[in-house]
Amino acid sequence: MPKDKRNIRYRSALFLLTVGSILFFFGNVIFGSISISIWDVIGIFTGQEADIAYRRIIVDIRLPRATAAFLLGGALALSGYLLQTFFHNPIAGPFVLGISSGSKLAVSLVMVFLLGKSVSISSSGLIVAAFVGALSSMGFVLLMSRQVRSMSLLVVGGVMIGYICTAVTDFVITFAEDADIVNLHNWSRGSFSGMSWEYVAMMAAVVAVTVWIVFFLSKPISAYQLGESYAENIGVDVCRLRILLILLSSLLSACVVAYAGPISFVGIAVPHLVKLLLGTSEPIWMIPSCFLGGSMFCLICDLIARTVFAPTELSISTVTAVFGAPVVLWVLVRQKNERQL
Amino acid sequence: MRDCYFFTEKMCVGHGSPIIKDIEIMLPKGEILTLIGANGAGKSTVLKSIAGQLRLLGGTIYLEKETLSEMDRKALARKMSVVFTERLKTELMTCEDVVATGRYPYTGRFGRLSEEDRQIVREAMDLIRVTEIRDTDFRKISDGQRQRVMLARAICQEPEILILDEPISYLDIRHKLEFLSVLQEMREKKQLTVLMSMHELELAKIISDKILCLKGEYVLRYGTPEEIFESDFIEQLFDITEERFASNEKFLTYIRKVGRYG
Repeated sequence: MPKDKRNIRYRSALFLLTVGSILFFFGNVIFGSISISIWDVIGIFTGQEADIAYRRIIVDIRLPRATAAFLLGGALALSGYLLQTFFHNPIAGPFVLGISSGSKLAVSLVMVFLLGKSVSISSSGLIVAAFVGALSSMGFVLLMSRQVRSMSLLVVGGVMIGYICTAVTDFVITFAEDADIVNLHNWSRGSFSGMSWEYVAMMAAVVAVTVWIVFFLSKPISAYQLGESYAENIGVDVCRLRILLILLSSLLSACVVAYAGPISFVGIAVPHLVKLLLGTSEPIWMIPSCFLGGSMFCLICDLIARTVFAPTELSISTVTAVFGAPVVLWVLVRQKNERQL
Repeated sequence: MRDCYFFTEKMCVGHGSPIIKDIEIMLPKGEILTLIGANGAGKSTVLKSIAGQLRLLGGTIYLEKETLSEMDRKALARKMSVVFTERLKTELMTCEDVVATGRYPYTGRFGRLSEEDRQIVREAMDLIRVTEIRDTDFRKISDGQRQRVMLARAICQEPEILILDEPISYLDIRHKLEFLSVLQEMREKKQLTVLMSMHELELAKIISDKILCLKGEYVLRYGTPEEIFESDFIEQLFDITEERFASNEKFLTYIRKVGRYG
């Protein structure tokens, strides 16, 4: 396809994703287990008189939750994209590589410890704990990636690290004594529920800064995709870029785990779906599209999780797995076909 | 010696432990140096070390009197381009996209190509005759086509010095000759300096100004094609013994032809 036509395709895909995420964002605000009419919602937004309970549901529950799904979904997808780039491995993602589980373990350790002393943890403290956990898992994965060259083995190793962390987390949670542990249990399964505006503000700041930096790395990332030796030759500081990729992807996935717990398959599946939509792997298009794609994906999944069996709420990972896992299978099959090409 | 455009001083290369020691190359601007030697003799190792892919185990490389390892990475990227035998990893990239990656050292923060960049990409593709596959996916073309796309990519990087590891190994005879004549032309017009490895001895003899022969731990011989392709040196370099092929008259004739006179 000639360049001009391709540019039109990229732009329309980006436009589609933007419109889609806005649409589902409002979908998430309007629909819920308690039905509030669209007119009431509009009324609340335009500052008209409204039922106090409705107003609270919209402003203090649904809006922060939808915002969190938007921000964290994007962060997850982008984190997956960075990891796939880093490992030159299409089935890498924060969840399969055990990075989310590392964060989960660190956060629950910190929480249980502090709850025991009845100190509440600040939202930035959560991110720091999750980041440390993510980096320690990442450290193991990196050590392993030096030993094993095969990408499928690397993923299996990551899954094992994930299981170990999850087992220890369950252990910690089971033996912790506190009423708040119920919340902890919900969180450890992955959920966007219980978001406060304080949390949302913090995650917005972290995600915005990180995504901004990632976007400015799109040029070196495009060179890195060609392979390390060629990237080096065209003037990329490969070592520095690798460190940045690790730090940024860990930070993004840590931010998600800190607030919503581990969410599976978004990081791995969304970059592939977006790539299919765009028809390119150019980072300058992939980075914003992945973010929006992840946002839209999580908004859709959260809407399903909340409404399909309302008032019972599904864990978000249940829904993301239903949609994400087939994508991963498809990638694996296609990968094999292309090698025979 | 220090006036040379490119030269090495006691260069020692290898993956961790030294394979070849005390390599001294002197190459004036606008000359072509070819590395020859048996498989595994260390040709790629030498080229990769010069291109900065492998850490030098000793010695120094100078480019225009500057130490190569101390040069600014971006400035160097505008002077030196490379084609390795290792495959480029691409996803959903057309051949034109691949060639355009050579413009990386010249583009701005987000790597957008200017009209001038596009023009240079087109010219490089025309020169290597890959224009007709410009919109084809890079993963779907043949090895020979891929090699030519990589050469076009290296050329559109507008280098002063080109490092090529077996650049024509997959090409048919016409494209081999065409590519070498492009090199020769660029060397005359733009004073391009070339360091490459090759197994095509007859062609190496025609195109090269200097030839470096690798065998064992040290450089076996370094000189002009006339000096290298004399008496039975090639047979020595590749350990070809006539006894081994004594029963086959046709092979013997060929060995004498290639070995003695290139």
